[in-house]
Amino acid sequence: MDYLPIFLRLTDEPALVVGGGSVAARKVSLLQQANARVTVVSPELEDSLAQLKTNNEINHIQGQYQDDMVRQYRLVIAATDDAKVNQAVYEQAKAFNIPVNVVDQPALCSFIMPSIVDRSPVVLAISTGGSSPVLARMIRSRLEALIPASYGRLAALAQKYRSAIKVKFENVEHRRKFWESALEGKVSELVLSGRDKEAERVLQAAINNSDETILDEKGEVYLVGAGPGDPDLLTFRALRLMQRADVVLYDRLVSDEIVAMVRRDAEKIYVGKEKSNHAVPQRDINKLLVRLAQEGKRVLRLKGGDPFIFGRGGEEIKDLFHEGISFQVVPGVTAAAGCAAYAGIPLTHREFSQSVSFVTGHLKDGTFNLNWSLLSQPNQTVVIYMGLTGLEIISQKLIEHGVSHDMPAALIQQGTTRNQRVITATLSTLHNKVKAEDVVAPTLVIIGEVVTLQDQLKWFDPDESSGIAIGNALG
Amino acid sequence: MKEPQVYLVGAGPGDPDLLTVKAQRLIMGAQTIVYDRLISKDILKLVPASCSQIYVGKSTNRHTLPQEEINKLLLNLAKSGQIVVRLKGGDPGIFGRVGEEADALALHNIPYEIVPGITAAQASASALGIALTHRDYAPKLTLISGHRMQNQPFALDESELIDPNQTLVIYMGVSTAEKLSTQLLEVGRDSDTPVALIERVSSPEQRVFLTTLDDLADTIERHQIKPPALIIVSKVIATCSRYSFESDVADIAAKKYG
Repeated sequence: MDYLPIFLRLTDEPALVVGGGSVAARKVSLLQQANARVTVVSPELEDSLAQLKTNNEINHIQGQYQDDMVRQYRLVIAATDDAKVNQAVYEQAKAFNIPVNVVDQPALCSFIMPSIVDRSPVVLAISTGGSSPVLARMIRSRLEALIPASYGRLAALAQKYRSAIKVKFENVEHRRKFWESALEGKVSELVLSGRDKEAERVLQAAINNSDETILDEKGEVYLVGAGPGDPDLLTFRALRLMQRADVVLYDRLVSDEIVAMVRRDAEKIYVGKEKSNHAVPQRDINKLLVRLAQEGKRVLRLKGGDPFIFGRGGEEIKDLFHEGISFQVVPGVTAAAGCAAYAGIPLTHREFSQSVSFVTGHLKDGTFNLNWSLLSQPNQTVVIYMGLTGLEIISQKLIEHGVSHDMPAALIQQGTTRNQRVITATLSTLHNKVKAEDVVAPTLVIIGEVVTLQDQLKWFDPDESSGIAIGNALG
Repeated sequence: MKEPQVYLVGAGPGDPDLLTVKAQRLIMGAQTIVYDRLISKDILKLVPASCSQIYVGKSTNRHTLPQEEINKLLLNLAKSGQIVVRLKGGDPGIFGRVGEEADALALHNIPYEIVPGITAAQASASALGIALTHRDYAPKLTLISGHRMQNQPFALDESELIDPNQTLVIYMGVSTAEKLSTQLLEVGRDSDTPVALIERVSSPEQRVFLTTLDDLADTIERHQIKPPALIIVSKVIATCSRYSFESDVADIAAKKYG
């Protein structure tokens, strides 16, 4: 070990940064996060440092570094491009036994700065001893993905009840069990989903009942949006719950690739919906969710897109609520946003569209209960989910209600995936153009002036071997 | 084949847990991050120490950088060989002005990608247990921006508001909420139509309120609700409101529409 990792307390301690450029600014920001009192010495300050000076958040000595300036500081960082100044700062700090770091010059450092994963009060520091910053970055990136952002809040909660729990559970073994149950089970999951107050209530109840296992008994349901198709568009919360589930209910709109990412030994139940031929009727899905949770299972209901946008999530949580089953809903990138982004169509645009409406192409009883005249407005974008079968009627109705027959319209097949195809036409021609091609669901239809931008803004072309973006100027 | 140089990335509502895997990977590999006011501190913590951060939002001595300046900045950074991540709150295609930025890049042959994110309406809905669509009460979801009500040319179209069978979500609508409720009442929406207000969604400081159309402006005043906040007007709120709210309004709304 070439360097000893330690965590330094700098609250209200004076720290000196020599240099006023953007690198210095980043070091200042880091020192401020550790509540140090920062002084910057430099003839000039870049914008963000000047702003800090205006706000009196840093002390600024305007001018060049002078001999022995380091003297009254606890920590010194040099970030100048003047080798002589850097050398002087290093030597003088050494002479006074003050820890010193000259940025990017390991030979002039008595300490080095690690890569940081900050979940304060939990902090991880990673160092490769200067051997490979890229490797350090890769390790950090993995850890960032592994450790939920809210671990900081979880740690703070644990801190708050630490002494109470010590009193309540005198037996070390019981105490350990209690903590494991709290930090891996329900309390942790509640904090992770942003329900801190509820987490605290559960924790308090468990302490009051001296129960080291109560925390993790009951089943629960996670309604999770799996996004538009590309597994890269899953959220971290979705990924975590996919690893936690005992059983998963998924449907046709969730890709195989994503289902394969669910915890391997979780039971997988397909409740897929084919249009007008529901594999499992909605009310049976609702009942199944309730029953599985009542059996004590952690149930993952995985839905394409977002559970609350044409996902019937509202109906599912209604039953859960009435049965007193705890649940959480996790949003996912909705098909409109995903398909539009990957097709190169902005859904709103200052010039062309100041609002966007989402409707679905098939409704109950096979009819559309849409108010056509209210959908047929200029300066807005209309997105039709699952719009393939109804496309002809929808186009006709919109034209009947005054939308221009040459209004630009696009159909996106399997957006965001390797099978993405974008067909652009006008409201009157899209239907026939789509018919001539072999289009596969799921599809999304976008109607509005914004569609004209697609030719200029498209960047994702899965036919290209690597699917790499090309911004194409004027076609 | 050229690698993308600029990524126009939706950072979602603020909670890093709701970032997409792709967004996080891009942030951690960026050389320069360009961001504005809506990007949370927790997300900025992910930015590597070696990456420069350029703030283009409002600050004490400056207004938000004009869009044309942001476009130029992105171009110049890309031309200097940087890998740039332009972070936007929510989804870049929904009131994020991604069209203008992508257009500037495309015109100059700078390869780019657009990465969608969770928009604030979705995060609010999930946090409150409010479905944004419902087969009977809201077969349609409309997203509008409150900014439009400030300048006449973009004033809200009556037809966008009149349909009672829709969920209406207003972004950036706190300062114009009174105009909104007046307009909605004028076109005949019920005065007790449920309205949810969500301030700073998905942050630890999130606050939520349930009210009705005719009490909207008062609620904002009473609780000093400040941007960023979202307004949701929908009958569907009633069916779900009792999961998240303990109030008379929830009971009344549930009786009428639940």
